[in-house]
Amino acid sequence: MTETLTDETATQALSTAPQGTQPVASRNRVRSLWRSLTSMRTALLLLSLLALAAVPGTLLPQRGLNPVKVDVFFTAHPSLAPFLDKLSLFDVFAAPWFAAIYLLLFVSLIGCLFPRIRLHARALRRKPPAAPKRLERLAIHDTWDADGDAQAVVANARESLRRQRWRTTELREEPGGAWSVGAEKGYLRETGNLVFHVALVVLLTGIALGGLFGYKGTVLVTDGGSFSDVPSSYDVFTPARLGSESALPPFAFTLRKFTASYQPNGVPKSFHAYVDYRSTPDAPSRPYDVTTNRPLSIAGTDVYLVGHGYAVHIQVRDKSGRLVYDKATPFLPDDAMFTSHGVVKVPDGLPRQLGLTGFFYPTYEPTPFGAQSSYPGPAAPVLTLAAWQGDLGLTSGRPQSVYSLPVASLKNIGTKTIGPGQTWKLADGTTVTFAGVSQWATFQIAHDPGSTVVLVAAVFIVCGLLSSLWVRRRRMWVRAVPLDNAGGVRRTVVSAGGLARTDADGFATEFESLLRRMKD
Amino acid sequence: MPTAAPGVNVSLAHASDLLFTWTVLVYAVAMFGYSVEFAFARIARSRGDQAGRPEQIGRVAVGLTVVGWLLHLGSVVTRGAAAGRVPWGNMYEFSTMVALVAVTVYLVLLLRQPVRFLGAFVMTPVVLYLGLAGTVLYAPAAPLQPILNSYWIKIHVVAAITASGAFMVSGVITLLYLTRTWLDRRASMGPGTAAAVEYHGFARWLPSAERLDRLAYKVIGFAFPVWTFAIIAGAIWAKYAWSRYWGWDPKETWSFITWVAYAAYLHARATAGWRGRRAAVLSLVGFGCLMVDYYVVNTVISGLHSYAGVN
Repeated sequence: MTETLTDETATQALSTAPQGTQPVASRNRVRSLWRSLTSMRTALLLLSLLALAAVPGTLLPQRGLNPVKVDVFFTAHPSLAPFLDKLSLFDVFAAPWFAAIYLLLFVSLIGCLFPRIRLHARALRRKPPAAPKRLERLAIHDTWDADGDAQAVVANARESLRRQRWRTTELREEPGGAWSVGAEKGYLRETGNLVFHVALVVLLTGIALGGLFGYKGTVLVTDGGSFSDVPSSYDVFTPARLGSESALPPFAFTLRKFTASYQPNGVPKSFHAYVDYRSTPDAPSRPYDVTTNRPLSIAGTDVYLVGHGYAVHIQVRDKSGRLVYDKATPFLPDDAMFTSHGVVKVPDGLPRQLGLTGFFYPTYEPTPFGAQSSYPGPAAPVLTLAAWQGDLGLTSGRPQSVYSLPVASLKNIGTKTIGPGQTWKLADGTTVTFAGVSQWATFQIAHDPGSTVVLVAAVFIVCGLLSSLWVRRRRMWVRAVPLDNAGGVRRTVVSAGGLARTDADGFATEFESLLRRMKD
Repeated sequence: MPTAAPGVNVSLAHASDLLFTWTVLVYAVAMFGYSVEFAFARIARSRGDQAGRPEQIGRVAVGLTVVGWLLHLGSVVTRGAAAGRVPWGNMYEFSTMVALVAVTVYLVLLLRQPVRFLGAFVMTPVVLYLGLAGTVLYAPAAPLQPILNSYWIKIHVVAAITASGAFMVSGVITLLYLTRTWLDRRASMGPGTAAAVEYHGFARWLPSAERLDRLAYKVIGFAFPVWTFAIIAGAIWAKYAWSRYWGWDPKETWSFITWVAYAAYLHARATAGWRGRRAAVLSLVGFGCLMVDYYVVNTVISGLHSYAGVN
């Protein structure tokens, strides 16, 4: 075969693309379906489809990103939204048709990979092809005269190629006393290509691992409060799809203090949640500063700081002065300046149940349109309260949010604006004291057992890609033919030819410098 | 000028703005020079004259590009020094950096190959891009938002900027490639036709379609792994900042779509029947996705990457 190697077939042999499909008998449908699924054309089609399928996920609101926006869309388009929903267009990245595309792509990829790995392994073991008959037919070639005998010249050429880390054939004697050698370099191109694609499959496996065995949850902790990693202590918890929660003993932490700093215009500068944590119940307690970009990692589980706000410390005493309520209650922020709202429920200890609804302003600023906060830091904290009497509905058995009060069935008994340390006396003698302000932080706790696999795969993806795009595979042949012995000096005609599939310009330069070494 | 945010060195910020203006002016003159060379060398050659004077203008344009590049670099460095941080914290700065990389890629190519013909075609989008950055996207120097305060901003954003600048150059080359193949096909309709005559003028200036294709592939071969790395670095950063490495945020999704489009280009280039013009169109689709990723996602679609500083 190599004797009649033309430029065209040599190029084909250098190609890293799969060889053309052979004709298959029509009865062998499965086989032909498999062949077309693993063809480059199908991969191309599926890649284009994948890109196209992802687009609606960025144009329509997605449940996984922002469920509130999806609800808003439903309200705005009552007839269109259910139809879109049937097509999973609000959960594009979890949609069956999206999964179908990437799974087919991966099946096609795996089907393509096996034969190519086998071929490449074989190519790695084989010697480079022997020299074609006519080197001057190759795209890059040169001919020159040299002193010395043909075998020695070719042996020299082989040596200088080997020094440049080319793989070479043995010296080959040809009819007429000629000698030739073949060489090849750049096997890393296909190796990198295969590494890249295998790493993609590993990456997908890692993602699946995280999706099946990972869990996450969020929890709000007030200054001085604690958290322990058991499902019941989360505010929101998404358990693992497979397997129960971690077999490890639960870790725990206490929020010592949360601090935030702001620029004068209210734009945040930094957030810090200073916690003390124990990685197991028996472990010693250690301090850690959880901040943006710096989660706390405990045995494969990460604790992130994701939000913050103010907790208002309120004390309620009955008319005899007995303390019936004494707690820091988290208020939820309504705007960037942390105007916050919250509810206090006092079901016990008073003649009638008492509820308080309030707004908290870290930096109070009255305006003609009502009060607002003008800075997110607690520069001038003020609390406005409304008091309500009646049945708070806590015994009705229906679940109730701690952030709302059923005011429709309650009686308003007054409103008041007070500062820290001030006390508001209600008509029945009950007193409400604004005892102080502390802060709370919300933490997201996430466990993703697949993330290490994904990271390692990603490293291989980049390395594989670099060598598959930057290494070029090229072949080279040198032949020496002895000239008729004229004046007792042995003369030889040397010809060399080279072939590179990609970057012929670059190879031409390399070819020249190789020949320069040989001619020296 | 609006009042400067605290922690910003006002005189340095001002110097940066001034250097920016000069950069755009010098680049614009260079662009004009390249265009003159392109137009007149073509005419001179098609008449059989020596194209000496236009070529001198072309060389001056290269000199001006280098001067503009230095001013550009100066503008970026002073901007960073003024704000006391990396100079790629909002969309104005980001666009400026992408243009800087595009010019750098062009100059590096010029060191290795005779690609001065690219000058006019690279400088035109660069000048437009900088014009857009300086007017619509301009945001005064200010400190970073806390979430951006991570060393990953250096790694992730530098990679994204580098890949984008190179993709921009490859997009220009691909457009020239498509022009050239279009001309080739028109000329093949027959000798002596007006199209064939016009072709000879233009074609002598543009390199062969094959060479343009190889050049575009070379630049994408550089940009694509860098873009891959940018996405991965972004995912690692997202793991630290947002508790997950991937969440299909619009920016993430469009980066992924861009990646898939360029991956399709690379596959198309190795597929019979897709090589050439079809593959070129795929790479332009990839570039279109990249533009959506930066401009549509930042301004129209809201998401986690809302750092544009444009209102």
